[in-house]
Amino acid sequence: MSPTAQAPGRLPDRLLILSVFVVASCGLAYELIAGALSSYLLGDSVLQFSSIIGCYLFAMGVGSHLSKYVDDRDVLARFIDIELLVGLLGGLSATLLFLLFAWMSAPFRSALYALVFVLGVLVGMEIPLVMRVLNARQASFSELVSRVLTFDYLGALAVSLLFPLVLAPKLGLSRTGFLFGMANVAVALWTLWHYRAEIPGLRPRLLRGLLVMAFLAAGLAGSDKLTRWAEKGLFGDEVIFATTTPYQRLVVTRWKDDTRLYINGNLQFSSRDEHRYHEALVHPALQSMPWAQRALVLGGGDGLAVREILRHANIREVTLVDLDPAMTDLFSRNAELMALNAGALSDPRVKVINADAGQWLETSAEVFDLIIADFPDPSSFGLGKLYSVPIYRLMARHLAENGALVVQSTSPWFAPKSFWCIDATLRAAGFSTHPYHALVPSFGEWGFNLAMKRPGFVPPTRYSVPTRFLDADSTRLMFSFPPDMRPLPVEPNHLNTQALVHYFEEDWGKVIR
Amino acid sequence: MIDRRRFLATTAAAAGLAALPGCRALEHLGIPITVLRPGMEAGHALRGGAPLPTAQREIRTGVAILGSGIAGLSAAWRLAKEGHDDYLLVEGPEPFGNAAGGRFDSPSGPLAFPRGAHYLPLPSVESTPVRELLHELGVIEADPFGPRPRFSEAALVHAPDERLYFAGTWRDGLLPTAHVGTDEAAQHARFLAETARLTRATGADGRRAFCVPLALSSTDPAFRRLDGVTFRAWLAAEGYTSPSLHTYLDYVCRDEYGATPDKVSAWAGLHYFASRGGQAANAADGSLLTWPDGLAFLARGLAARVPAARQLAGHALAVAADRQGVSILCTTADGPARIRARRTICAMPLHVAARVIGNIRDYGFDPAAHLPPQAPWLVASLLLEGFPPEPADAPLAWDNVIAGSRGLGWVVSTHQLIRAARPAHTVFTAYRALADQTPQDARAWLATAPAEALFELAADELRSHYGPLEMWRRTRAVEITLRGHGMAVPACGSLANPGLAALRETDGRLLFAHSDLSGYSVFEEAAWWGDRAGRKVLG
Repeated sequence: MSPTAQAPGRLPDRLLILSVFVVASCGLAYELIAGALSSYLLGDSVLQFSSIIGCYLFAMGVGSHLSKYVDDRDVLARFIDIELLVGLLGGLSATLLFLLFAWMSAPFRSALYALVFVLGVLVGMEIPLVMRVLNARQASFSELVSRVLTFDYLGALAVSLLFPLVLAPKLGLSRTGFLFGMANVAVALWTLWHYRAEIPGLRPRLLRGLLVMAFLAAGLAGSDKLTRWAEKGLFGDEVIFATTTPYQRLVVTRWKDDTRLYINGNLQFSSRDEHRYHEALVHPALQSMPWAQRALVLGGGDGLAVREILRHANIREVTLVDLDPAMTDLFSRNAELMALNAGALSDPRVKVINADAGQWLETSAEVFDLIIADFPDPSSFGLGKLYSVPIYRLMARHLAENGALVVQSTSPWFAPKSFWCIDATLRAAGFSTHPYHALVPSFGEWGFNLAMKRPGFVPPTRYSVPTRFLDADSTRLMFSFPPDMRPLPVEPNHLNTQALVHYFEEDWGKVIR
Repeated sequence: MIDRRRFLATTAAAAGLAALPGCRALEHLGIPITVLRPGMEAGHALRGGAPLPTAQREIRTGVAILGSGIAGLSAAWRLAKEGHDDYLLVEGPEPFGNAAGGRFDSPSGPLAFPRGAHYLPLPSVESTPVRELLHELGVIEADPFGPRPRFSEAALVHAPDERLYFAGTWRDGLLPTAHVGTDEAAQHARFLAETARLTRATGADGRRAFCVPLALSSTDPAFRRLDGVTFRAWLAAEGYTSPSLHTYLDYVCRDEYGATPDKVSAWAGLHYFASRGGQAANAADGSLLTWPDGLAFLARGLAARVPAARQLAGHALAVAADRQGVSILCTTADGPARIRARRTICAMPLHVAARVIGNIRDYGFDPAAHLPPQAPWLVASLLLEGFPPEPADAPLAWDNVIAGSRGLGWVVSTHQLIRAARPAHTVFTAYRALADQTPQDARAWLATAPAEALFELAADELRSHYGPLEMWRRTRAVEITLRGHGMAVPACGSLANPGLAALRETDGRLLFAHSDLSGYSVFEEAAWWGDRAGRKVLG
């Protein structure tokens, strides 16, 4: 009989019963973390949760089965070892999976299920081992089962409520993981200390336990930095905002005074030189149309083109049609980003519509003096349709007779066929076109096209609004193409052939090695 | 420990479900399946010889048009267009016939899809009614009757138009010439050269050897003799042994005629290739026209030109013509009615006409001898949330076909949309001709098969290609349309069928208009016979 043995009939070890509560809480917590994390990263929560639960429960069954191979004399020592292992693995699980997902997405699912399985096996061994420890110390088996299961369920209940209400929203998944890992290790240390007389190899076990505890505590303290470091690994700069919307992943980074927006990992603008892009996009057209009152911006939810449009006092109304409410919300609420677009999206003259530009153009009957088409590059068949003859004909229906359409037209330097294909497409749609280009250092040489229903556009020689990039000389250079950027003979982009998408692939295939 | 496990499972599942907006998830456990059997009940009542009701009222009209498939609609369109307003279009049990479309109300808005035919090839120069209609609907923008009209880009199938899953990966086009050995590739080239030659060939009578409409094809026996051999026998005799060519032609015959090359005549097999002479000013030869709900776009266009007062919901039960006119017993929303018409255009399939017109033999058509075999079809549309994953170098096309599969692939209803982002929902419509058993056996199975079994068959290709789990998690609703008598099969002897010839020439009180008169089912033939019947009435 051990020194701490209980007299028959008395309550079993409170310590071990308490550890049942903690162990049960941790067991459920890891399952919930894995389920929530995979739902968050992979989507479809029903599928993720059910497959994680299935895998976890099955693994627990395997663990329960394996527990019978533990020798009666080693039960306590094995229990402590398993607690340490569960604490380490479970505590690290969320962070490990996050990092894995950030760098390599291919083996993510395999790693996820392997981790869930191993954790399940270990957790499955815990309760049978605890019951065996207690059974050796207590006569009444029915009392024991009742006690253990009561606390087992109580622990599960506590976590199932705490996790969605407090832990996940307040601490986040990474830190919740570390916290529960530490709880497991605490149980191991406590049990170890309490039964120190019965356990061989006390010192190395104690040292191991303390080390794991310190490691997890460091993780808990540094997990924020770890996540940020993971995203920094992806983007190079510090991430000041990141969100995943139903349409895209938006990330805003900052390095010194350079704020950058990435959509799905592609740079949208750098605050250092975006004025070049947006001045070039807006002012040549608007300066030549002092009568313009109504402007339409398609895409461009960052409000930077709108900011330039609003500089013209004759503009009375700007309609911005951007697909993603998260994008326009971000740029009309975040103080730092509002400083960039000068609060353009909250200007009373601006109307923000969150709709698909293609669908909106089909259903709206409004007519504008200026239309800016600032769509993503035509890198897929779906996006290529936004640069096609029918959509330009549709835009023409929304354009006043003496109005202008300005189209973001990819790079005439890197993607010359694509650039001139957009020009040919606008002409096939009946426009008279005026292609131009500007150097935007973070993009390279970039291209635009100013299209009108009637010929006769003359590039401005002066600007009545303040500009940082445009003046008479820079404008003259913009509308002139040196010999190495001369027009190429290309087909217009018709929907049934989508020549532009093929050109774009071919062009960038030559640039990117 | 069982109880603990169950507890863990329920709490975790509850936490997962609570994370979803509105707990929709529970309904996803079973996908709602709707099965439509258009015309079946009415057709089987006619076949079963159910006692005829007594008419409660009488409707008088100059011309009754029975059926609102493309033939009936085209006839009404012609009459309306020429200012003839004394007619009545009785819709029949299958409004829009094989050109019907459906609609899902998806969470992101309504999505149209085809319930039958889904595309139209560039119409031949001879398909004048079709060209006239397309011009009216704005699908042809210029030069409607010239050799190369200009077509609206919105209706031309957008790139990428089609892809074939062959030897483990997706390829462009439906004939994998670039991916087979040199001997097979040479046979492909020889076959296409032969069909190109036949496309230009004319008979001794100066007509094109193979023409749409079929009625304008040459009667030169040099070509007509191809009606006497099966397509498969002809291929064998001509030395075509390439397995990939046979796989392709087997697909073509099932897709176009609902039957395999050993059932279809060589004339019909070649007609598919050699009759497609339509050209466009702004698209390659062989281009296709399509709309989200398939040919329902054209059916709606036709119906919109027929005043609502000239349309009647109901179907004919008995038709009898005498010297005074035609008497039609017909169901209507207000009970059985008798329509008395001076002339009547029977724009219903011939297997129905054979039941409705007691004395159809008097018109030279003996159903027992002259009724073409009819292929049973199954069309299944799946409302999907998002799109299943596709390889980056072979994006989803409009038409997606798996080489060697018994299904006929699937078309994507949102393919023609111009959108900044991929739509949140889409519809895949999968086609299947039940060509591997007798039509009778297939129809018997279709008539009683449970929805799950029908879905199993209809979604077979999608599930095996994308994986059952992927399809299950994306599918929000399924609609299956069964067409037991989907289309006439142009078997050997179809061209020489004297019963069809007799009905084509009928010009009395009773007129016939249906693609069945051509012995195969395509939009252009139905429009041709409808237009012709309308013109006969106009005189």
